[in-house]
Amino acid sequence: MMHGTIRSVSCVWVVWVCLFFCSSVTMVGAAPICANAQGGCHVLSLANLFDRVIQHSARTHGISNNLHTEFEQYFMPSKNHIGRVSRNCHTSSILTPNGKDNAQRMAREELTEVILKLLVAWRDPLWHFHQSMAHHHDFNNFSSNKALEMSNMVHELHKGVEKVAEKMQVLGIISNTVSSLVSPEALLASDSSEWRPMRDYDLLYCFRRDSNKVQNYLKILKCRIIPEHGC
Amino acid sequence: WMNVTIASEGGMGIGDEKRQAPPEPHITECISRDQATFQCWWSPGNFHNLSSPGALRLFYINSLASEWKECPKYVHPNRECFFDNNHTSIWIPYCMQLRGQNNVTYYNEEDCFRVENIVRPDPPVSLNWTLLNISPSGLNYDVMVNWEAPPSADVKTGWMRIEYEIQYRAGNTTKWDALEMQRQTQQTIFGLHVGKEYEVHIRCRMRSFVRFGEFSDPIFIQVISSKGSTFPLTLVLVFGITGVLILVMLIVSSQQRRLMMILLPPVPAPKIKGIDPELLKKGKLDDLNFSSTGGGLGGPPTYATDFYQDELWVEFIEVDAEDAGTGEKEDNQGSDTQRLLDVPQPISHHMNIGFSNAVSFPDSDSGRASCYDPDVPDQDTLMATLLPGQPEDGEVKTSPAPERLLIRTQTAGPQTWFNTDFYAQVSNVMPTGGVVLSPGQQLRIQESTSGTEEEPQQGKEHKGSEDSEEEKEKEEQFQLLVVDPEGGRQAAESNTPQMFAPPSSPIPGEGYQTILPQPAETEPAATAEDGQSPYILPDSPQSQVFARVADYTVVQELNSQHSLLLNPPPRQSPPACRPQHPLKALPSMPVGYITPDLLGSLSP
Repeated sequence: MMHGTIRSVSCVWVVWVCLFFCSSVTMVGAAPICANAQGGCHVLSLANLFDRVIQHSARTHGISNNLHTEFEQYFMPSKNHIGRVSRNCHTSSILTPNGKDNAQRMAREELTEVILKLLVAWRDPLWHFHQSMAHHHDFNNFSSNKALEMSNMVHELHKGVEKVAEKMQVLGIISNTVSSLVSPEALLASDSSEWRPMRDYDLLYCFRRDSNKVQNYLKILKCRIIPEHGC
Repeated sequence: WMNVTIASEGGMGIGDEKRQAPPEPHITECISRDQATFQCWWSPGNFHNLSSPGALRLFYINSLASEWKECPKYVHPNRECFFDNNHTSIWIPYCMQLRGQNNVTYYNEEDCFRVENIVRPDPPVSLNWTLLNISPSGLNYDVMVNWEAPPSADVKTGWMRIEYEIQYRAGNTTKWDALEMQRQTQQTIFGLHVGKEYEVHIRCRMRSFVRFGEFSDPIFIQVISSKGSTFPLTLVLVFGITGVLILVMLIVSSQQRRLMMILLPPVPAPKIKGIDPELLKKGKLDDLNFSSTGGGLGGPPTYATDFYQDELWVEFIEVDAEDAGTGEKEDNQGSDTQRLLDVPQPISHHMNIGFSNAVSFPDSDSGRASCYDPDVPDQDTLMATLLPGQPEDGEVKTSPAPERLLIRTQTAGPQTWFNTDFYAQVSNVMPTGGVVLSPGQQLRIQESTSGTEEEPQQGKEHKGSEDSEEEKEKEEQFQLLVVDPEGGRQAAESNTPQMFAPPSSPIPGEGYQTILPQPAETEPAATAEDGQSPYILPDSPQSQVFARVADYTVVQELNSQHSLLLNPPPRQSPPACRPQHPLKALPSMPVGYITPDLLGSLSP
């Protein structure tokens, strides 16, 4: 009798815990952006959204940094920096502000679009990069996992930034000119065969830069729109 | 800073390894403080002729430029080139080049970088601390350290994301302790010690980058204990507790016996004073540890005696070893049985009837002196010794004394052990009151119920009249308590008054053999006078019931060699009034069992 009581109590407790956590997870994961705070959807504040994507981008940049350093150690690349200087990453066609002043002068919509373009442009190359790493047994599993993680994170980051853009549009912070569709330039960049011959090291070199750009642009955007928290 | 290299993605050396200064002119370092401008320094190397300002010129190129451009701003005293906002682009690679006269180019391929990778923020400013709290002991405290981001780093617009690292050390150490990277502009340092001086400094870097900026100027933290009583207080507490503990230990150890008695009451065991019960169990009578100490024996008994002083139920059989010297003579005189049977043995025995000194009779009769009257004839003494329930004093009273003793025995709680014999059978009791040992199978238990009953009526007085004595002796049923201290009483009580009929009435009992008194009582008496054994020979006309001599002998005393003496030597000294050792004073006490006739013949 005692066991039965205990078992039932534990079952109830487990169910309750599951419900609690599941609800939390669902709330976090699939939080729909509601037009107005009603209808039972969990409204995340814009500041909260921004913090999440900025955190995510920082993490992406960190991983790309690590991978690049590893490559540098193991695959002493040529010192042809001049050549590297002239070489373009496949995202070079995307116009990005190269300085603080330029970035601050850029309009919010433009900045948001630039971020989205960058993220879109890197989805496929990173996926292929991971594939090539997995097949090459030169790399250990750690690096291969990092590459996969990087690819996934870029994907999620893109979705997150899209949501931020939506929210901003809803709140009227930016105009509706920001298109969620992939811009032609980005498509061009991702479809071009330029990146294919790019060696892994160069890809990492480029991505490291671009992930820093994304992180920076997001932070600038956030501090321009919501300067209260953490700026 | 001349040898510090910049770890860019290939520029200025790989990683942070220090590069050997090349002999030719070279770029030593390029640093950006705010990710919007940067500076580069160069060195002429061994080309001292190029050390003059203007001898070397710095050129740069980036992906935006199509050709090499010269440094926008020279700071010649420092051999520095400063790139302002307009000339600084992030996320594009720069390459540096030195050119001397005649377009001699000194170029290192590794001097390429991206500006975001060469950022080393300035140290934070406005470093200060506040006291958070002090521990209750007054020995430790926590501190909150505050600072501000370097003004050169544009954190407000989010252009630079900075994390900070605090390091601190005690004033006299050389090793710095680093705390976790902190993104806020404050941090708590826990567990600082009062009285020590601490040095704290801080540095920062770009988040998710590796290069730290310079350390800030250190600040010093020190908290002085305001109250000087903390230290003594702790000592006082420590010593106080230690002292209390020691005191408790001392008490416990000193009262150990009492505590043991309270906590672990001893299991009653055969208590023969002076004899180790363990040896008894093993049956090694020879090894019995007899000593001549105060009527008792060395070893545990003294302990036990003292212990059980108040225990009424504890009885001790005392073996008096005082006359050990005299007893030695008797050792060689035949067997114990012989001694038992042979009356005319010139022995001057003394009764060794012991009783526990610890036995305290609840003697309500205050009339009983603690010592026997010295005038008491031996007869009474003998009787006294014969009978259980000896008073604590050694002297034997007159005939009523035995009665009194008997009474005592019955009324008194403790039961004395007749230590004259471990296992003795009383075959008969003489009219005079003597107890007769017998080797027979029957137990004759004397009872003195009548006698004892009479006694109280008589007020337990000295009865000097022989008649009364004889009467009582005849009627007396001496009750011999010959059982264990525990069982003694029961035995005494359980044994229904068995009148000791005239000697020829055997009474079944505990297997004691009794010896009828013999007609040759006078002999024993005479011998008793001479100190001979008062043993009653079994071959008396009345001994039809008794077939043989008792196999049991009476242990009278111990000699100096700790041997059991069955026929102790006679006493020399008159009975002294010694409550502890009443029997020692008995002079020439006959052994064991004497008929009343013998008693009369005995003289002190």
